[in-house]
Amino acid sequence: MKREHDDGRGIAPGDDGFAIAPMSEHTIGPFFPQNFFRAGDNDLRRRTPDAAPSARGQAITLHGLVLRQGGTPCVNMVLEAWQPDAAGRFDHPADPEAHLADPDFLGWGRAWTDAEGRYSFITLMPGGYDDRAPHINLAIMGAGLMRTARTTVFFPGDHAADPVMQAVPPAARPRLVARPDGEHRFRFDVILHGDAATETPFFQD
Amino acid sequence: MDLRFAPWPAGIEPAVPIEGYPNTFTHTPAAPPVIRPLTRTERTAPRSLHLKLPCGDENLAVMGPGRMAQGQLIHIAGRVLDEDGRGIAHAVVELWQANAGGRYRHPIDTRDAPLDPNFVGNGRVLTDAHGHYAFFTIKPGAYPVPVPATWWRPPHVHFSVLGPATLSRLVTQMYFPGDPLNGYDRILQSVPDAAARDRLVARMLPPVEAGPGWLGFHHDIVLRGRLATPVLP
Ligand SMILES: [Fe+3]
Repeated sequence: MKREHDDGRGIAPGDDGFAIAPMSEHTIGPFFPQNFFRAGDNDLRRRTPDAAPSARGQAITLHGLVLRQGGTPCVNMVLEAWQPDAAGRFDHPADPEAHLADPDFLGWGRAWTDAEGRYSFITLMPGGYDDRAPHINLAIMGAGLMRTARTTVFFPGDHAADPVMQAVPPAARPRLVARPDGEHRFRFDVILHGDAATETPFFQD
Repeated sequence: MDLRFAPWPAGIEPAVPIEGYPNTFTHTPAAPPVIRPLTRTERTAPRSLHLKLPCGDENLAVMGPGRMAQGQLIHIAGRVLDEDGRGIAHAVVELWQANAGGRYRHPIDTRDAPLDPNFVGNGRVLTDAHGHYAFFTIKPGAYPVPVPATWWRPPHVHFSVLGPATLSRLVTQMYFPGDPLNGYDRILQSVPDAAARDRLVARMLPPVEAGPGWLGFHHDIVLRGRLATPVLP
């Protein structure tokens, strides 16, 4: 089957006919432009940098460190967060209740680590949906990381039945739970590379 | 099996850690990644992300009247596609690169190569309804990587693409055809499959097609997630 924009390269038979293989991931490197960041990018409650933050839920701060082997902080790591709104809905066609989603809440944000390896996000406490416990998905990119590292942050409470949590070996599950750190503040350190007892569990993407 | 995010085909993802690139030993997770079920959070992404990340800086080469960046003026254009070759509408495409002397305008890049007052080196655009994107820029210079086993990065352009699902989020790099450094680059050569490496190299347009003034390159970017892109009406 010839595709309209087939330029003759990279076409290989796939499971269900002819498909193009995806591109290789590469590191984001040390020089991701600082002027790509704007104030408020790490605030998931805002649809635009100037919009008022959504107040339909409990505002929380999620913060922590990104660490590499030896517990050394990583500077200039880029983190992206994605979550449903406070009622567990997405403004997205894949959500059957998209029409009820919070119209002011974006659910996405980007942060980067400072000289001490710290990041922070401001958001609303996510709601659960179906069998998913409240959670925030994180993508971590940086120099030395050829592939984006993906993990999921859970909150203290009932996440035992969450299917993603259940995919994680039991001993590692507590490492996916943010710990309370002041009023409406949660701490979640990302340990990119550590021993079997400390490394953050990451997921195949 | 859900084909929306089938496993990566063999040989496409870089083999890590990379000999001679020390940070890949200290940053790459030691444990194999956990295989999880894909739920709504993984299959979705924000719509209208361009409101949060303003788009439209497509000309990196011209800062203003009479303020042209130094270097070979080039035009990079192509499409952001899904695995079925369908254009991905309204994907956010971020591009950044070194100047013609191989230096980034970034506080961390302290190498003593000159900065170009007329070149910042990054831009962000939104793909159109058929997935097309385009940038005007200059050909970046090569630069050395300051590690014990020094190697030179060939001229390359960094791409960050935010598409229809957070799982199809792609960070990659584009190379230039025929550069003798391509074969020595530890990053490009970490991709095991030769065809996958080849697809990271842009195609130069015949000069007569590119038109006067700018050397043209064509580069398509394929994201994962075959069924995650709605078929265009
Ligand atoms: Fe680079």
